Amino acid sequence: MRPTRHVRVLQAQLRASVANAMQYRADFLLQGLLGLMWVGVSLIPLNVLYRDRQSIAGWTWPQALLVTGWFTALRAALEGAVSPSLTAVVEHVRRGTLDFVLLKPADSQFLVSTARFEPWKVLDLGASFVIMGWAFHQMGRAPAPLDLAAAALLGLVALIVLYSMWILVISLSFFIVRADNLSFLFSSLLDAARWPVQVFRGALRFLFTFIFPLALMTTYPAMAMMGTLDATTAGTALLVGFSFAAVARVVWLRALRNYTSASS
Amino acid sequence: MIEVRDLCKTYRVHQRPEGLAAALRSLVHRRYDEVHAVSDLCFRIADGERVGFLGPNGAGKTTTLKMLSGLLHPTRGTLAVDGFTPQRRDEAFLKRVTLVMGQKQQLLWDLPPVETFALNRAVYGIPRAEFDRTLTELTDLLQAGGLVGKPARQLSLGERMKCELIAALLHQPRVLFLDEPTIGLDVSMQATVRGFIRAYNERTGATVLLTSHYMEDVAALCPRVIVIDKGRLLYDGELRALVQRVRPFKRLSIRFAEPPAPEVLARVGEVLSLEGLAAQVRVRGTDVKDAVRDLLGTLAVADLTVEDPPLDEVMRDLFDGNTAARGAA
Repeated sequence: MRPTRHVRVLQAQLRASVANAMQYRADFLLQGLLGLMWVGVSLIPLNVLYRDRQSIAGWTWPQALLVTGWFTALRAALEGAVSPSLTAVVEHVRRGTLDFVLLKPADSQFLVSTARFEPWKVLDLGASFVIMGWAFHQMGRAPAPLDLAAAALLGLVALIVLYSMWILVISLSFFIVRADNLSFLFSSLLDAARWPVQVFRGALRFLFTFIFPLALMTTYPAMAMMGTLDATTAGTALLVGFSFAAVARVVWLRALRNYTSASS
Repeated sequence: MIEVRDLCKTYRVHQRPEGLAAALRSLVHRRYDEVHAVSDLCFRIADGERVGFLGPNGAGKTTTLKMLSGLLHPTRGTLAVDGFTPQRRDEAFLKRVTLVMGQKQQLLWDLPPVETFALNRAVYGIPRAEFDRTLTELTDLLQAGGLVGKPARQLSLGERMKCELIAALLHQPRVLFLDEPTIGLDVSMQATVRGFIRAYNERTGATVLLTSHYMEDVAALCPRVIVIDKGRLLYDGELRALVQRVRPFKRLSIRFAEPPAPEVLARVGEVLSLEGLAAQVRVRGTDVKDAVRDLLGTLAVADLTVEDPPLDEVMRDLFDGNTAARGAA
């Protein structure tokens, strides 16, 4: 499929998602408001922890707030652009309608990954920028343009890692029927990304750095934004991101082959 | 156009006896059975043909259609559709075929069908002018103009099938695989869909392979049928010849002006029913002319029609015969 057709398909899918959201106007408003409320609620534990302390594991209140800002942005991107489509794949496999995706003359991973968006998550994304702005305001400075660019790049890597992990989970649904339960485990684990990874000790620190790389998802982009991330860590993060994407691609193609040679 | 040689598809199915102990045992040690969904199937279909693909439930029809459309890999044998090997799923191949499944839908549930059409336009890369022209043609043929703007979930089953057909044909495929396209539809909607399939075939010269449990679909659309049972080919040829082979009888439905003499009726053929002034008699096809002459000459006939046996009965005989033959072997 040519790149221009990818863009056209993406446009069409986005348009359908927005149209879908508009079909239910009350839902649209309610979801938007609920999302914003959750963003507000997620700040409470952080606020409580920092009421009597200056810093936790070397992170001051505005710095930890910046991590929460990245967490909010990442979750908005995940829930707005990644998980709605990929949850639908499990349903497709269960109902056998994945056949229609596979009959289309386009890359199946691209088609399923762009099938559905939740437009109101844009509000959460906006809120995340407000939190990040607030954090820098409290630090009394602005991020350097180069740090900002590095943070954006790392944010993108974080999204790629998250997306790839989702693809891996979804690929499991070709082998086991109820893989959607795994998505609950997945979002519970992700919830830990609201804290800087240095907060965790021992096995958890290892788990969240190397196995389920939460450090890469929110801590590193926040550190990059503050200009405290070294180049080696940033480079490693990029490498990890692309490795995840490559592994996810291979597993998806294998899972698909399993589907097309086994199902009826 | 379509060439199928020695096609086989075997599934490995996990077998587990009843009970908790068996369930626990199956966690460690599993027994698999091989199910031969399709065995040594061979046929050819020429450009522009309309072929009915028949068989009882579980005969392997859908498996074959899925292999032909590239969704399943054959276990053995070769397949060619319009010069392509389906399981490679080349873009050019996927642009030439379509699969309509009466029991599954591709329409976006909460949105009007036009949104699905727009999405398919982007996926298939159909130029705007061509898309508009095809969409108008298809909606006119199906009289579906008023439907495409309503959310799919508000459409009736028949209306939805019309829109499914449009979505499946917007890219003007050369080969149509139709798996039970009329399932669940009322009689008039079935007739509409049938008429549409025939018109599309005649207008574009596309090849049609159709499965259906409604024999009216097959009788109205398909001069040729391929019949399979338990994955094996039972018959490939003209529908009319199949009927003659399996049921070499015609049915005479007669209405009399006055009560007929039963012995005269029995002389003509096998009396299926006789109630008052109405009778049904089964007569060998070659004897119809003599039987009619005899009836008209000896009895007071008010009305007489000669009918082929219903296709459903033909199929039942065919499959029963096949089972019996297998049992005897």
